[in-house]
Amino acid sequence: MVIYSVYIVSKSGGLIFNYDHSVPKIETEKTYSFPLEHKLVYQNKQIVVAFGQRNGVMVGHVLLGVNGAPVNGRTIEDEKNPRDAFEVLENPENYPINLKFGRPKMSTNEKIFLASMFYPLFAIASQLSPQPRTSGIQSLEADTFRLYCFQTLTGVKFILIVEPSQTGADLLLHRIYELYADYALKNPFYSLEMPIRCDLFESNLQSLLEQSEKAGISSV
Amino acid sequence: MTVHNFYMFDRYGQLLFYAEWNRLRQSGITREEEAKLMYGMLFSIKSFVSRISPLDNTSGSREGFHCYRTSKYALHYMETPTGLKLVLNTDNVAVNVHELLKQIYSQVYVEYVVKNPLCNLSEPIKSDLFEAQLDAVVKQSHVFTSKPT
Amino acid sequence: MSRQGARLDAKKVNSELFTLTYGTLVSQLLKDYENVDEVNKQLERMGYNIGIRLIEDFLARTGSGRCYDFKDTAEKIQAGFRIFLGVSPTISNWGPGGDEFSLIFESNPLTEFVELPDHCLNLKYCNILAGVLRGACEMVQMEVTSWFVQDQLKGDNVTELRVKFIKRLEDAIPAGED
Repeated sequence: MVIYSVYIVSKSGGLIFNYDHSVPKIETEKTYSFPLEHKLVYQNKQIVVAFGQRNGVMVGHVLLGVNGAPVNGRTIEDEKNPRDAFEVLENPENYPINLKFGRPKMSTNEKIFLASMFYPLFAIASQLSPQPRTSGIQSLEADTFRLYCFQTLTGVKFILIVEPSQTGADLLLHRIYELYADYALKNPFYSLEMPIRCDLFESNLQSLLEQSEKAGISSV
Repeated sequence: MTVHNFYMFDRYGQLLFYAEWNRLRQSGITREEEAKLMYGMLFSIKSFVSRISPLDNTSGSREGFHCYRTSKYALHYMETPTGLKLVLNTDNVAVNVHELLKQIYSQVYVEYVVKNPLCNLSEPIKSDLFEAQLDAVVKQSHVFTSKPT
Repeated sequence: MSRQGARLDAKKVNSELFTLTYGTLVSQLLKDYENVDEVNKQLERMGYNIGIRLIEDFLARTGSGRCYDFKDTAEKIQAGFRIFLGVSPTISNWGPGGDEFSLIFESNPLTEFVELPDHCLNLKYCNILAGVLRGACEMVQMEVTSWFVQDQLKGDNVTELRVKFIKRLEDAIPAGED
């Protein structure tokens, strides 16, 4: 099985811990001739492929580099000559051109935002329930992953992102809860609701995840 | 196994149709508000899913998101490339609900709404034929036939 | 309340009746509008209204997903012609940016018995097809435009319909979301 990442969200909805276990890096570099076969748009301060998915470059990928120089926002960060990426790409004289595309990596800010976004979803799922006394979201299935969420009685949420074929991660979530109780809560220098920065917790979590990846999730 | 209720939204988030079978609890807000809340939640879940996903979505399916489960019920979701959204709430042991959603789309919506020139596609569905057909398809489904637990 | 018994059997519906119906429609439009350009516009508009419904039937039958490249779109349009009109146009003449292609029809069931009269040589007899493509693609968040480059009715060897990608349309966002 593959475990992608672990998130811990505090009672008040803040992200207090995140660990990316095996998130693959997806990048493609290629030399293009004019006109460009991908349609690009500028959104959320990134240049994104909107259409024209081919040769490993997918819709949703971000333009990362032009002729070896990194792209930041819509600017090519060429040391001597920073230029607007769209102007460069629209001019046939700049071709052939080497472009690097890739799946955007999540920034810490984005992770904090996503954690706070999950919090109300969890609550609304319970509010919209057609049955009385329902919990919030316990698992969520998507094309590319499965999410498991375990909420403790004290309101802390443990969230696990695993590959889609994986079922039944409850046991593993409980083990992570135990590690949290041991290495975060019993650590006198850890204050509640604050981000967990404990090496012992992280290293134990890492070995737990490695062990369950090798031996299967039910063996933990 | 049991089916609780069904929502259908158009691409603009308008509630086109609602039906319920074994709904054991009301949300305590009007149907209109409930639909808005439901659509808003689905929209957020979709955005959440596409951002937290560790991989590219290569299947070509629009939604990325299929279902979630809580302690008591499961919400199953299907979205067509045209942006039509179908939601079916069942108990959380129901299986193959996606097949039922596809069936509702292709055998009920396409046949009795899209192919009926008098049905305006951008208005809530008022066709009795559609309603009766939906009811029949859901009640014939294996998801429904087993008694509520 | 099923109406299954009343369904038409596609194999038994006479295709010439369909051709004739379309022809009558076009000639009636010509009489009513007395203006070829206006008729071209009306045919396109009717096609659009068909397209926004027909796409659902196409998706329900084929179970196909969303297109991420115009090449997928071209293949799906080709499949659509096969399903609904029983013809298989060839895809050719790709534009350099991969956002423009032609559909080449060797035969066209709509025009089987048609001879254009001299006073309406500007008539785009099959313009309904251009409208169907626009309507269907719009429903899957794609703006396209299409036009006839060659037409067998005007003495060309084949009928060529050019299709061009304009832009992706954005999804609707519910009120109160960013």
